[in-house]
Amino acid sequence: MIEITIDNKTVEANEGETVLQAALRNGIEIPHFCYHPCLSIAGNCRVCLVKVDGRPKLMPACNQTVAPNMVVETEAPEVQSARAAVMQFIMLNHPGDCGICDKAGECRVQEYQFKYGMAEPISIEPKHHKKKFNYLSERIVLDNERCILCSRCVRFTREVSKSAQLGIVERGSHSYVARLDAQPFDDPYSDNVLGICPTGALLSREFMYKSRVWYLEPVRSVCTRCARGCSVNVWRRKKHWYVRSLGEEKNITAYRISPLENPEINGRWICNTGFDLHKFMARPRAMAPMMAGNTVTVDEASAEANRLLAGATNPAIILSAHASNEELQAFKEKLSPRVQVYTREDYCPAEGEVVEDDLLIRADKNPNSYSVHAMFGQKAFSAAAGHDVVIVWGDQVDYTSLGNAKIIHLTSYAPEQETRADVLLPISTTFERSGTFCNFEGKTNRFEQVFDKPKLVQHASDLFGRL
Amino acid sequence: MKKEYWNKPTMGLWERLYIFEVIRGLCITGGVFFGNMWKWITFRKGALTAYYPEEIRSDYSPNNRGRHILTQRPNGEVQCVSCNMCATVCPAYCIEIQSTANFEDPFHPKAPDRFEIDYSRCIFCGFCVEACPEDAIRMSKDVPNLPGFDRTKMWAPQDLLMNWQPQRNPAKVYPSAQTSTQEVHP
Repeated sequence: MIEITIDNKTVEANEGETVLQAALRNGIEIPHFCYHPCLSIAGNCRVCLVKVDGRPKLMPACNQTVAPNMVVETEAPEVQSARAAVMQFIMLNHPGDCGICDKAGECRVQEYQFKYGMAEPISIEPKHHKKKFNYLSERIVLDNERCILCSRCVRFTREVSKSAQLGIVERGSHSYVARLDAQPFDDPYSDNVLGICPTGALLSREFMYKSRVWYLEPVRSVCTRCARGCSVNVWRRKKHWYVRSLGEEKNITAYRISPLENPEINGRWICNTGFDLHKFMARPRAMAPMMAGNTVTVDEASAEANRLLAGATNPAIILSAHASNEELQAFKEKLSPRVQVYTREDYCPAEGEVVEDDLLIRADKNPNSYSVHAMFGQKAFSAAAGHDVVIVWGDQVDYTSLGNAKIIHLTSYAPEQETRADVLLPISTTFERSGTFCNFEGKTNRFEQVFDKPKLVQHASDLFGRL
Repeated sequence: MKKEYWNKPTMGLWERLYIFEVIRGLCITGGVFFGNMWKWITFRKGALTAYYPEEIRSDYSPNNRGRHILTQRPNGEVQCVSCNMCATVCPAYCIEIQSTANFEDPFHPKAPDRFEIDYSRCIFCGFCVEACPEDAIRMSKDVPNLPGFDRTKMWAPQDLLMNWQPQRNPAKVYPSAQTSTQEVHP
């Protein structure tokens, strides 16, 4: 432990830590663009300049290691004027088109310009124009004018995703970010650069102009696309910004997914599949209970399911690895003594998808296999066991593998093949309930309800009480 | 002296008899009513009452904040860049905007696809006009004239807002897409 003084406040810093890290950890704000806690130190934006006693010049806080009895000032007049000058330089060719920039509202350049910048530019030269809309890939659009060349995205691809696809080319004011071999930026973690970009240079093409960010709010959730179970934020519309004329469905749409920092599971990153979680969730839903292909009421369907179960001599259930721990517990208490339990993987890796890597992506594409296996073991269903009623829980069911048994199907999404389930009961998705998942390491992660469930859809945990 | 906290009675005996004074009042209002009616029967303008919505006043002040106008660029496209400042500042939450992207025109990449104002909620405060950085929304002195029985039908769509009183002289002028300068090496 080293004691240093920042702004007349004595703070404790760790050996080898930088002034910026020590200040941020102690709640002292020093502006920074290029510094990111998960990336190496570049020290190129110069907006974190602070005054260190005994040094003739201002020092960048992000690259200044703490030393005993160091005295740092972050609000001295010379620091403030240096910051204003740095902002002046960064804004020199920045178009300032916040009105049409999707980043406005969560943009560091905008924030610091208001806080530390000068009111009016002093440059008399016209702004230097660059190419505005570059498609880096199918997912990302790059606006060279807005880029401040902090190199966060470049360092991300070199240090975190290790694809080293991005670099900065050309010189001086012509510099811009590009993939060095002129291929699309197809890193499986590419969308993380949208979040770490301190300005609106890198934007999602899918979210482009969908909504201003201050109309949205994040809700903590868990990605269900693999056994890693990364923490994510699901962005939904704030209640008092609900639209009326533009369509009610906009109010119950997940606008985008962003990573939620969770040092124990995913750090600050998620993969592109996780960024597409809202599209995965927006597939056609099973909205109403059905019996042999005909829509019926909830009561009729539950009664029929009850009758089938009561009359069964050898009932079985195939568990879903998309069930939360709470639902599995409800099932264990209410139903499991009466039925034979089997397990199943709802989703297998899709074609062309990254199956597994050593950063985040896991080969098991279901979020809660760990709990299912821990509570009920691992046993694949076989039609030869002679079950006369089978409850299938989950999506992507191949009915032909179930033999001639009567089928009670609990699913969130409309079955792809024509349903021959005797009773189909729609259940809620991860976005419509709250609960916990255990990831492949057994770490529990909580997700919260984002939207209300549709009227005819039931929570699986309520359903087991009725059966 | 003891202080008195109650009002002195102001009515005399005649007023307190009530019925005669009421008749006197009825005579006054009735006289005005029948006078106006006689003028109306003989096709003259009687009282100052306007028969809204059949009859609309012609003497609104030029500063009156009335119906909105979306200005157009010289080529007839909408001037609005869909920045949502008006929708954000609107205290009645009555503006809803859906945006589209046109990356071919780097000076105007974002434009509204649907720009709708709910006149059943609008309070005509003029904040949207003040907030607009593009001179894209103005208010005319005319009233919306949207009386109806169903408030869900009082939405004014973008077409109507642009074209009911077209104005093509926005204060902020953009270069056209053709003259746009991409990166030029000196």
